[in-house]
Amino acid sequence: MKAADFSYHEVVNLQDAIKIKAQDDEAVILAGGQSLLPALNMRLSSPTCLIDISKISGLNEIKIDGQTLFIGALATHSDVMNNKTVKDNMPCMIDILKMVAHPAIRNKGTHGGSIAYGDPAAELPALAVATNAEIIVSGQNGERSINAKEFYLGLFETAINQDEIVVGIKYPLLKQGQKIVFDEVCRRHGDYAMAGLIANIMGSKNDIKDLKLVFFATGDKPDVADKTARLYLDNGYDYDKLKNSLSSEIDFAGDLNSSSEMKLHLATVLIKKVLSKLEN
Amino acid sequence: MVAKNLVNISFTVNGERFNNVNVPSRQHLADYLRSQGFTGTHLGCEQGACGACTIEMDGKAVRSCLVLASQANGTNLKTVEGFDDEMMEKVKQNFLKHNAFQCGFCSPGMLMTTKEILLNKKKLTRDEIRSEISGNYCRCTGYQSIVDAIEECINEIN
Repeated sequence: MKAADFSYHEVVNLQDAIKIKAQDDEAVILAGGQSLLPALNMRLSSPTCLIDISKISGLNEIKIDGQTLFIGALATHSDVMNNKTVKDNMPCMIDILKMVAHPAIRNKGTHGGSIAYGDPAAELPALAVATNAEIIVSGQNGERSINAKEFYLGLFETAINQDEIVVGIKYPLLKQGQKIVFDEVCRRHGDYAMAGLIANIMGSKNDIKDLKLVFFATGDKPDVADKTARLYLDNGYDYDKLKNSLSSEIDFAGDLNSSSEMKLHLATVLIKKVLSKLEN
Repeated sequence: MVAKNLVNISFTVNGERFNNVNVPSRQHLADYLRSQGFTGTHLGCEQGACGACTIEMDGKAVRSCLVLASQANGTNLKTVEGFDDEMMEKVKQNFLKHNAFQCGFCSPGMLMTTKEILLNKKKLTRDEIRSEISGNYCRCTGYQSIVDAIEECINEIN
């Protein structure tokens, strides 16, 4: 349970971090480290070079930027949960973050870190996909913006190039009548989910005009289930039909706590559980 | 520990200054603190699940197994050995009174989590207390006595 050896670089500005990362294929960014350190300790990952960006100033800004809520990469989960701009404009994010680990981990874990790490069981990547967020990365050629759905390519695999670093996330502000509802099933509060669902809904309980379902802890990345959402809108909740649809749409991958069959069941039940939270 | 890569850092633990010490880059903070005699910081899982290694870094609770010693550069740390202010003395008395220490393995983390609960100054129900300490495993008290102790602490300050 000890990390393998690596070289460690503490940087205080973004350009230095980009320079080191661009030069070393093995270099990995360390922000809060709350997902990376367990992986290092368990030797699931053993990079030879770590670039600690946590002391770069100005990367933890939270603000309204046009029609979006911008969250700087280094804002910790606790920062986001206690931020008034977030509370006023996207309160659902605070409730979602309550499901992320425990206070001591949320004090250190960063928003950008969770987005960039791309853990398929994590809540924030699913939220980014569900809300059509843009992920802003900075590299040798300047900044670019990647849509969350195009950002996640596979298991812990993202569209970040070797010379790039996530600097912030832009979440479109919710429109009139738009709601984000969610839930997850896990063995202990704060643990990684066995299956989770974030639904982006336009309309009210009895009159849903548009529905987007994004599952997490189901496959190798946030799983969008558009066909299943369509089926729900056309036929309402029918366990067997929705289960069939989900099994054709998502490549369920079992883990230590739950088999792929169990995840499929939980995902199907979550549709009912999550949508029943909608108010009329 | 075989260490090719060393990092030079300075920080404070319980008011004691550590200047220009060399730490192996791969060593986590809990291991470093224990190597310096701060053995009140306990290690259970080393992956952030059990909470036994929870300490205070710049006023906030963190898992010291999920922070590299090198990341402590420039920070102010407090371990269970430094929990000697009036509030924490009361917390420890309440833990003793309710037999919430029992084997003692989870206690440093439980005390740190209790400290953070009390600093938030929120009145919590027993269920909410259980939810707040859900990041700290205890394998012997059954949590009942710990919840009793924290409940009394909350009642005292509110």
